[in-house]
Amino acid sequence: MSELRKRTFVVTRFDPDVDHAPKTQSYEVACRPDWKVLDALNFIKDEIDGTLSHRWSCRMAVCGSCGMNVDGEPKLTCKTSLADYGDRVEIAPLANFPIIRDLVIDMDGFMEKLESVKPWILVAKQKAAEEGTNRQSPEQLAAFKQFSMCINCMLCYAACPVVSQEPHFLGPAAIALGHRYNMDSRDEGAAQRNRVFRGEGNVFACSYANECSEVCPKHVDPAAAVNQAKLNAVIDWATSFVVRREG
Amino acid sequence: MKALLLRLEPVIWLLFGAGIMVGTLLLPGYLLTVALGAPLGLLPARALSFERAHEIFSNPLGRLVLLGIIALPLWKGAHHTRALCVDLLGHRSDALIGSLLYAVALAGSIAGILAVLSIG
Amino acid sequence: MRAASPDAMAPSRPGSTRTAPPELPDRFWTQPRMRTYLLFDATGIVYLLVGLVALRVAWALAAGPEAWQRLMQSFANPLYVAFHLLALVGSIFVGVRFFRLFPKAQPAHIGPAKPPPRPVLHAMLYAAWCGVTLALLVVLGGLWP
Repeated sequence: MSELRKRTFVVTRFDPDVDHAPKTQSYEVACRPDWKVLDALNFIKDEIDGTLSHRWSCRMAVCGSCGMNVDGEPKLTCKTSLADYGDRVEIAPLANFPIIRDLVIDMDGFMEKLESVKPWILVAKQKAAEEGTNRQSPEQLAAFKQFSMCINCMLCYAACPVVSQEPHFLGPAAIALGHRYNMDSRDEGAAQRNRVFRGEGNVFACSYANECSEVCPKHVDPAAAVNQAKLNAVIDWATSFVVRREG
Repeated sequence: MKALLLRLEPVIWLLFGAGIMVGTLLLPGYLLTVALGAPLGLLPARALSFERAHEIFSNPLGRLVLLGIIALPLWKGAHHTRALCVDLLGHRSDALIGSLLYAVALAGSIAGILAVLSIG
Repeated sequence: MRAASPDAMAPSRPGSTRTAPPELPDRFWTQPRMRTYLLFDATGIVYLLVGLVALRVAWALAAGPEAWQRLMQSFANPLYVAFHLLALVGSIFVGVRFFRLFPKAQPAHIGPAKPPPRPVLHAMLYAAWCGVTLALLVVLGGLWP
């Protein structure tokens, strides 16, 4: 086994009962060479400072819990190798979110945006069981499959310049998920979702910075989804003058 | 004003899309010839002499191309300048700044239509 | 540079504990990709000015040969030359970034219609760009008619 390497972790701390504003606290940790950032954080909490609060779960980049800003960039800490960093590593809560405590951010705003796009199959009339299951070709699946891979880790929100400035903007993951359902051949709810997209949540507020897709750990490419959604929303708007529809 | 802008977003986005696509396609050719080549004497004298320039741009297609060069970049410009202002100045002034920028684009587009139609 | 809006990602109702406002890392606006994106948006200012200046071309053509001469002399002024060179560089920068991002912004299908594969679409955009530029150079450059 190779040597341990001593690193200094500059971690954001915030206790709402005590602190006026977030501050940083430094921890010196002898790191194993194969460690991820999360391993260092867990070591700090287990061995040095039990008051440190941070979210994590699966340790394998599928649950989306451990998103944080590492040296200024949104990362999944379970997937981010310390080998890529130097002697001093800054760990901050995910950018653009209100901070509950230490590295834990308030997800409620995100959940509201997600729910507002009705991310489930919407049909006017549920099929009877006797009619059998829905059938979908590989090509139909390919139209949206990439956008279904989102793990709701919110790194894209931490990277998006529009999210930082426009509180009502739905944001990359919520729009990508709504688009995922709009493009699903089993779904009939596109008109409803497009109305949400053209409302206060405003897909058009996206300025195609593409940062969301750059930081996405699951290669969902939310920027592609958002900008596809813009075109679909415009077509929906244009056809709404010609075709009367429900809802 | 924010509500009005929100309702107009699809139209604005379409104009912006046309602006960035067609505007960017047209600009290098126009800039290399009319804006730089002729004034700097890099083109043959007859290329953009008044007689020939007038003949080209009084042709219906020529009028359309010139209108494209005037109007389309305005919509790309207004939309992206607005986005830059949101990034640098936040969302509170977006309704006002956006409205002003699109008003400039609209005014310029109308002026452009009148201008290319007035080429005798 | 600009801080995060205090209301960024705020829930519609406050939670049970007091939260600290959202933060942005120092390098948020200055990291290389963001710099490129901000520059891309800033070309909007150049595009606005280019369009407005192009109005002078139409006005001069409508006014007559003397006005056209005056316009050509005006455009030969170093400030105009610098501006139009900036516009040229800007439009190429915009084209390159826009053409890179355009193909993935096309939905997999609109009704029965499907876009060409992304690399093909990318090549088609450049072909169109070269074609239009060439056509303008030929016609406005005096080669034909």
